[in-house]
Amino acid sequence: MQSVLIALCAAFFSLPGLCFAQDAPAAQPAESPTNQFSSSDSPDLPNAPEPVLQQTQTPATNQNQQPQQPTPPDQTKPASAPSLGDLGFTPQQTQADAQLQALLNKRTHMLKIHQELGAYTLIPMAATLITGPMAKAKGHEGQTITEPSQANLDFHAALGGVTAGMYFTTASYAIFAPKIPGNKRRGAIRWHEALAFIHGPGMIATPILGAMAFKQEQAGEKVHGLASLHGTVAWTTISAYGAAIVAVSWPIKFHL
Amino acid sequence: MNRTLLLALLLSTLPALSQTSSQWVLERSTLSYHMSHPMHQVDGVSHAAKGKGTCHDGQCDFLIAAPVNSFDSGDSNRDLHMVQVTRGAQFPMVIVRTRLPEATPPSGTIFADLEVQFAGQTVHYNHVAFQKTTNGKDVTITGTVPATCTDFKIDPPSFLTIPIKNEIPVRVEATWQPM
Repeated sequence: MQSVLIALCAAFFSLPGLCFAQDAPAAQPAESPTNQFSSSDSPDLPNAPEPVLQQTQTPATNQNQQPQQPTPPDQTKPASAPSLGDLGFTPQQTQADAQLQALLNKRTHMLKIHQELGAYTLIPMAATLITGPMAKAKGHEGQTITEPSQANLDFHAALGGVTAGMYFTTASYAIFAPKIPGNKRRGAIRWHEALAFIHGPGMIATPILGAMAFKQEQAGEKVHGLASLHGTVAWTTISAYGAAIVAVSWPIKFHL
Repeated sequence: MNRTLLLALLLSTLPALSQTSSQWVLERSTLSYHMSHPMHQVDGVSHAAKGKGTCHDGQCDFLIAAPVNSFDSGDSNRDLHMVQVTRGAQFPMVIVRTRLPEATPPSGTIFADLEVQFAGQTVHYNHVAFQKTTNGKDVTITGTVPATCTDFKIDPPSFLTIPIKNEIPVRVEATWQPM
């Protein structure tokens, strides 16, 4: 009888343990806000200098990856500690995707070239713009028209050619950079891309109009018609191009 | 007979005795990294973290994880670049583990030893200060993890050939509730 009573007592004592859902904040003693304690007091935690690089994370695998060696369970974690699986993330969120990583690497590589080459393109572009007036006939109607020298014309045309070549090479690195599935464009990149619809056609039209103007000048005619828009189109193009560079860098906050 | 009954009852109570005493769930959170460049100051924010805490023998083990691609800096191009440099497709989660005493004051400064898994590396940050505030059932923890690019072997991205600062502090604001 005594043993049965002891057993019943034991069972009763264990009941709170079975249905325990302790409200920890309520159970905490109220102390002043400045009261400090440290989890480093726990004997289970390492006391290494911070930060400590411990090990290489093993990515979860999917079909796109090389099979990984199964990793042994982490002996340093207590058995009761929560695991990633307890948090309710979808497998798509937690699985490693080596193919996507490779795609991202290629994309970044191509866009880096796009960025650098695009910046260098500004040099011949600005030089072409500066030499533009030197390749233009001077003098108004009723006055003596001064034709530009052949050297000036050739130099301006050569700079234009270099600019166009570098521009289209730069553009090709952005156009052919891999697209990431499911990526919605947000932010400054949208302005950067939208401005390409101005400087892109501008870069096609400018040399064509330049060639037309050159022919008219060579024929001893005053530049007229569409060819007279060569300078305006060139300025619009370089303005849009400069704005595209600023847009992708926006917002600029200097912090040296 | 009585001894057998007693033994059976005692054995049946053992799993209950070793059970976790309380559990916590991450109700809402804001994680934000700060990136500094001579021309740019950028903050990438994620509200997609999930977390859980289990308490046992006076100690609570907490786990918080967030998908790397859930951080939003306001520019999709920059976010993709961030995922690339942090090897975020290969290691898609940033995981933080810590252990704290179960009995803590309802508010004040607490110090935690953190284990951070990110970009294929596991780094420990010891004695990181967090502010704890309690509002009803909500317990909010705020603090900054002093992460750097070199800690996680990340090549600092550059803009106009100038690399970003090595420091990429991550601000954590996490509100927990008992389950």
